[in-house]
Amino acid sequence: MTSFLKTINGLQLFNKFLKPSISTIISKRDGGVGTPKYRHPEWLPKVTHVKHDEHLTQDNKEFIEEIVQDNYDSPIEFGTQISPLKIDPIEPITKWRKGLRRTGLIAKKIGVYPLWLKDGKKVSSTLLQIVDNEVVKYMPPEKFHPVRSCKPPLQIKRRLGCLVVGAENIDPQWVTKEYYGMFKDTGVIPKRVLRRFIISPEAALQPGTPLIAAHFKPGEIVDIRAKTIDRGFQGVMKRWGFKGMPASHGVTKTHRRPGNIGSGGRKARVMPGTKMPGHMGNKWRVHRGQQILRINTKYNIIWIKGQNIPGEINSYCHIYDTILPLRRHKTAPHFPTYLPSITKEPLPEELYADEVHQFSDPTIEFKEES
Amino acid sequence: MYPEFLPDPNPLYRNALREKLERIDMLARRTRIAIPEFYVGSILAVTYSEPHAPGKVNKFVGICIERNGSGLRSSFLLRNIVDNQGIEVCYELYDPAIQKIDCLRLEKRLDSHLRYLRDAPAKYSTFPFDLEPEFLPEGASVPVNDIKVPLNGLPWLEKWERQELKGIIIKGVTFSKKRNAKTKISAKPWEKYDLMKIYRETIPEEEQNEIFNEVYTKLHEIEITKRRLKHKRTFIRPQKTG
Repeated sequence: MTSFLKTINGLQLFNKFLKPSISTIISKRDGGVGTPKYRHPEWLPKVTHVKHDEHLTQDNKEFIEEIVQDNYDSPIEFGTQISPLKIDPIEPITKWRKGLRRTGLIAKKIGVYPLWLKDGKKVSSTLLQIVDNEVVKYMPPEKFHPVRSCKPPLQIKRRLGCLVVGAENIDPQWVTKEYYGMFKDTGVIPKRVLRRFIISPEAALQPGTPLIAAHFKPGEIVDIRAKTIDRGFQGVMKRWGFKGMPASHGVTKTHRRPGNIGSGGRKARVMPGTKMPGHMGNKWRVHRGQQILRINTKYNIIWIKGQNIPGEINSYCHIYDTILPLRRHKTAPHFPTYLPSITKEPLPEELYADEVHQFSDPTIEFKEES
Repeated sequence: MYPEFLPDPNPLYRNALREKLERIDMLARRTRIAIPEFYVGSILAVTYSEPHAPGKVNKFVGICIERNGSGLRSSFLLRNIVDNQGIEVCYELYDPAIQKIDCLRLEKRLDSHLRYLRDAPAKYSTFPFDLEPEFLPEGASVPVNDIKVPLNGLPWLEKWERQELKGIIIKGVTFSKKRNAKTKISAKPWEKYDLMKIYRETIPEEEQNEIFNEVYTKLHEIEITKRRLKHKRTFIRPQKTG
């Protein structure tokens, strides 16, 4: 009996070797605490992780792809195609007035390069790409409760609604049933990134509305929220900018250390909030009051003044109208968003703020004042 | 010939779309200004609009001692000696305030940078502002100037003896024992055989071809219009005089 089992085992092993098992790895659903993480050797070809093995044949796969193609026959082109909605549209048309809040956008930070102003000054600008932004869901003020707590809800005078916006289309096969449920009702292609923007109910948009870079105008002021670069556990010099201690003159083993962290005597403890080593970065930060210098409507790119947008390159951030009281909108923006179907005139490919020099313009020359 | 069209090879800063937009902007600027071919060691004259200068225009002539950056941030450093004072000006290649860039003498040197001219006698980096442009015959390769520059005595701005420079002569300089020992320790003679390091620090040839194929037609057009303008300028119809 044992020999028979052994032969079977041997066969299975043999089978394992025959299969090209490198291509996919089925990740475990319940990895206990303390189990070492599998680290794939760098020198082997990259694996594609799947949640569980579907046992699909080639025919099955082709069939599924066909269905996906049928449901979302082509990626929705901005402004041209009406999204296949299954719910009634929300009528947006109200005029902009002060105090109304409209939606923001989800953008990908794709790099930094210089632009020049018309007075010859060089400014660095961050490029933000608006990737497949679409409205996924609208929650009216009655249904939207931003803070959930055990206490009775606060009596807010002016309740605001919420708009869920998604970015970057993904293959519907990749997502779980639960995640797909969010998109199923509205007919939007599943999105990789979701984000909710708090808006006034007048600025509500019908789910499926594409949001493009022309949502903003060049020269407008925006706030940008993103996660900062994860720097891991850092010492006090990098994390808080401490000076450290001298490199020589009898100093031993304490070149990058904080030094004294508190007084003795009665207190006999470290005060809360003392700057110490710890985890740095990977925190949500808002960068307020940034000006838009230039917009490309073809590739949906926004150029923002400054190079200090939080996060790494190719990471996502959220842009919305600034809430700084002195720099808010004074003239009407595109409200509730820029809809190409309403405005008949197509926008030019490149939009510039007034003070920005275009590269195709003639060389800057200063005139002598007489 | 166009090194600034290649992106920074560091994968942390790569993005295909940004690189493409950057190239479009560079080409847009190149339709307005003729940026000549030049290398480290060439002598350039740059005309620049400057709000504080008398006449609002400045001209600077000097030897290009360094080329830095890629894309729109590419820059070059010019060095000259004016009134016994070493002057270095860093110009951005795509700065719209630059009115004209002339290559007065097109040549290469033995090294990838000439920062050591700062520690060399003044005559090696002195060039008159009224230098006549020299023209190479059509289709000739760029000449390499194999001049060797003797350096001044210590102290130096950088440790030139560690940089494996071909264009310098170190004579009459005695290093301390400690410095010699450190030079020996810090030498990395194996780095030129490190294929992985070279691969990481350069753009692979296939990608280069892709990029240059994309910009080639536009650059070629610009080149042709430039040449046509040049011919127009040289040919002056003789005028009748009474």
